[in-house]
Amino acid sequence: MKTVDFLREITRLRGLSGDEGIVSAFVAKQFEPYCDEVTVDVMHNVIARKKGPGKKVMFAAHLDEIGLMVVKIEDDGSIRMGQVGGVDPRILPGQRVTVFGREPLLGIIGAKAPHLLSEAERGKNYNREDLHVDLGLPASRVKELVQIGDQIQLEHRFTELKNNRIAVKTCDDRACVAMMFDALKRLQNIRHDADLYFVATAQEEVGSRGAKTSAFALEPDYAVALDVCHADTPGAPQGRTMKLNSLVASMGPYLHPVLRGKLMDVAKENNITLQTAVVPRYTSTDADDIGAARDGIPTVLLELPLKYMHTTVELLDGNLLGEGGRLLAQFAAAVKEDWEDELWT
Amino acid sequence: MLRDTLQTLLSCYGPSGSEHAVADKVRELLSGHVDSMKTDALGNLIVEKFSADDNAKTIMIAAHMDHIGLVVTNIEKDGFLRVSAIGGIGPRLVSGRKVVFADGTPGVCATQPNKKNPSAQPSLNDVFIDIGAESQEEAEKLVAIGDVAVYAPDFTQLGRHKVASPAMDDRCACALLVELLMYADNQKHNIVGVFTTQEEVGLRGATVAAFTVQPDIGLALDVTGWGDTPETDLPAVKLGAGPAVKIMDRSMIATPSVREKLFEAADMAGVAVQREVLAYGGTDGGAIQLSRGGVPTGTLSIPCRYVHSANEVIDMRDMEGALKVLLQFVDLA
Amino acid sequence: MDLKTLTEAFGPSGYENEVRKLLKEAASAYCDDITIDRSGNLVCRKPGRDHAKPAVTFAAHMDEIGFIITGYTDDGLLRFRPIGGVDPRVVVSKLVLIGPDRIKGIIGAMAIHLQTAADRERVLGYDNLYIDIGASDGKEAEKLCPLGTYAVFDSEYTEFGDGFVTARALDDRVGCLNLLEILKNSDYEGDLCCVFVTQEEVGLRGSAGAAFLLQPDIAIILEGTAANDLGDTPPRYQVCVPGEGVAISFMDHASIADRDLFHQMKEVAARQGIPHQIKRAITGGNDAGSFQTAGKGARTCVLSVPCRYIHSGNNVAKLSDIKAQADLAIAFLNSL
Repeated sequence: MKTVDFLREITRLRGLSGDEGIVSAFVAKQFEPYCDEVTVDVMHNVIARKKGPGKKVMFAAHLDEIGLMVVKIEDDGSIRMGQVGGVDPRILPGQRVTVFGREPLLGIIGAKAPHLLSEAERGKNYNREDLHVDLGLPASRVKELVQIGDQIQLEHRFTELKNNRIAVKTCDDRACVAMMFDALKRLQNIRHDADLYFVATAQEEVGSRGAKTSAFALEPDYAVALDVCHADTPGAPQGRTMKLNSLVASMGPYLHPVLRGKLMDVAKENNITLQTAVVPRYTSTDADDIGAARDGIPTVLLELPLKYMHTTVELLDGNLLGEGGRLLAQFAAAVKEDWEDELWT
Repeated sequence: MLRDTLQTLLSCYGPSGSEHAVADKVRELLSGHVDSMKTDALGNLIVEKFSADDNAKTIMIAAHMDHIGLVVTNIEKDGFLRVSAIGGIGPRLVSGRKVVFADGTPGVCATQPNKKNPSAQPSLNDVFIDIGAESQEEAEKLVAIGDVAVYAPDFTQLGRHKVASPAMDDRCACALLVELLMYADNQKHNIVGVFTTQEEVGLRGATVAAFTVQPDIGLALDVTGWGDTPETDLPAVKLGAGPAVKIMDRSMIATPSVREKLFEAADMAGVAVQREVLAYGGTDGGAIQLSRGGVPTGTLSIPCRYVHSANEVIDMRDMEGALKVLLQFVDLA
Repeated sequence: MDLKTLTEAFGPSGYENEVRKLLKEAASAYCDDITIDRSGNLVCRKPGRDHAKPAVTFAAHMDEIGFIITGYTDDGLLRFRPIGGVDPRVVVSKLVLIGPDRIKGIIGAMAIHLQTAADRERVLGYDNLYIDIGASDGKEAEKLCPLGTYAVFDSEYTEFGDGFVTARALDDRVGCLNLLEILKNSDYEGDLCCVFVTQEEVGLRGSAGAAFLLQPDIAIILEGTAANDLGDTPPRYQVCVPGEGVAISFMDHASIADRDLFHQMKEVAARQGIPHQIKRAITGGNDAGSFQTAGKGARTCVLSVPCRYIHSGNNVAKLSDIKAQADLAIAFLNSL
């Protein structure tokens, strides 16, 4: 499967944080031909191992997605929503969704019409609490088909734009899972000493929970966390966004400076441009929890710039999928036993 | 009897960090009914009741012993005590309440007026405890800085099925766990009942207990919010409609397999259960689920009104239902 | 090792190399088993003969608050962000040292004459503060201070007043100094470990690793804590008072002291005549939180040196309190 097709398919699949079974199964199946063993653990983390005699290296990108959840069914059959992870409420009015009740049901997120709002109300965004899902069904039918706790997934429309740019939901962070897929394919033809673990983690959007448990279980020597960061958009705060067209190697106290230096070296040797972002404290990615697992795991963070994060039109530069795959594969091949001696000097 | 056990446990002093009185009472109640009891570095009481089955799994079931309180940070010249919060306790809830210290010293909480801005919301800095002392010296004979006051025990029957008391969060779950450990008989799986400490300040006891126990399955017992009083509609959970199986809260998304087992156990026990999605809060389940390499974990909740007030209200029918579900769950899971 | 040398070492969270090197050298005089763990903590073990005694770990953090360079302006100023909790109101018109080469910089702000009335009211946030190193343009600035370079306040160790000392990073180099004292003076018969941890100021990161690795029975944290005692602070908001001895905590935002240890500390101090006080507020949070909840958990207690102006470039502490911290730590160990 081509990497871009992998992205198209994986972004379609349901995998709200905490219930990622379907998307985990897909990832396990796709990774399987390219590695020595694949397991799905109790948290729905997919762990793909490509064996080597050397240092244990963990690559991690999360496969869960943000979404909504049924919290109440009103007497008129409209559905009130809670959220799983942080959904931008501005994208909700008029959005198509799928409610996973006893069967998948198409729903539209409705709001009170603007004509019926006061001047003051029109000046404000809707809150999630003001909105409802309309299934177009009588209340009695809704109550038969839908229960509290059922998941609601946002609409999937894979859109290819000019200059190989792609917009679709859940590029955060399945585009990085796609980069790992790309790296695994490349590693079929590259020698590596390191014992490689490609982990598609669960529950990142609710607090890097899958990364925490999988890092504990695997106990790697080094880790590379992969996540998305914000690309430049008009009006974004100064210094908080990165260029769309190259990957980012972040630095800061939570990320290991020596290991990051190694990643930069590999990028340079392979003519891959990396931007630098400085993160003064937590990175709010799996890197934070992997780095703190057990007695600590030297960890670096590689980020893929994305516009319109946490919407249904997350936009990325498609060229970076292959570029990222190449970097990961080359880094995996470059890991050396004697890096150990340099870690704390 | 569940009700007697509940009342006994509700009478114990046990703010976060000082839960030993509750642990002692649980030891007393369970003596002779279980295979082992031990206390760890954080004061968790870990109780084992083994199955005879060689293929038994180990189910860790947690209920927290601690409750919220007020810690004395200053003793003023005129003998009044200034306090800070242990856990989620606020000025609106404590003002006018009777409190008690570990040695039984009673006090009442009051809020000083805000003369500059009488309509301002008070903060905990405006709260003080009056223990009747007339000077700092007299107060210091009764109380030291670092001592903790809790709502004074006050058990009240409300109508036919409901009861109100401080510390219902989470002594009602402790009572369930005690009864489960007493009455589980030849159950299929090993039960490790953990009466945890320091839940209210961040699931600290459960975090270390889960690490030690290394269970195959985790289950937390705790109270949840309510949606059946005026202008309160979420979570969509009612008192008296049965215990609630948690789908998610801020600390945990229940592992789907455990959640389904709870529904199955309820079904087999013939107990109606509710489905709970809580937008706030967390339970020991969150700590157990993320222990080591991850533990499949769920939470069974008792719907409770006015959580963290001095009158936490539950329905005894939900308690009885929960006990039936638990007895079934340890045979099934 | 003296406090002057320790406080002059460069060690913002994530860049503790210089401090670690100094301490490693100093500790090697008193300890044969010194390692650096996966979190960069310096672990000094003294195995005991008597295994009936509890395994005790003392911890202090090597790192300090500081800054990190995040960008440049076209005219050569450095953009920066704080490492740890540095109130932007204390940084205006302060001198800083950037990078291990200690390039000098100043944090300037528009002169008061040019400010509007509204400017004078407004707190300058980190988006509006810059470090000026004298570079002529952004390129030169970047060459001298690449992205991610760390910086610290530039302030001299000075003893002043009635037995007081002012320096940067007293939080927590006082604890580091006292760990060395423990290593030097203790003949505890149980297992003893002194661990100098990384990254306390950015979320108790280093200690989380150390705690998991060491799994002691008892962990005692030696800290510097905010005093907040002077000026018009009413007594009930004073946390502890420099000069009144080492502060024993019953609770902070990261941990509740083991009640027995808390009482034991008070008793030992009283019995030995070591000046001590109870920390009278729930403020901050420190490495005890890590030790209490890592692995199987540990009983913890925190002993702090009262420090004024703790997250600024000029901490103030009393030398007698620093001594009291070491005295109580050692007396406690001897009482076990």
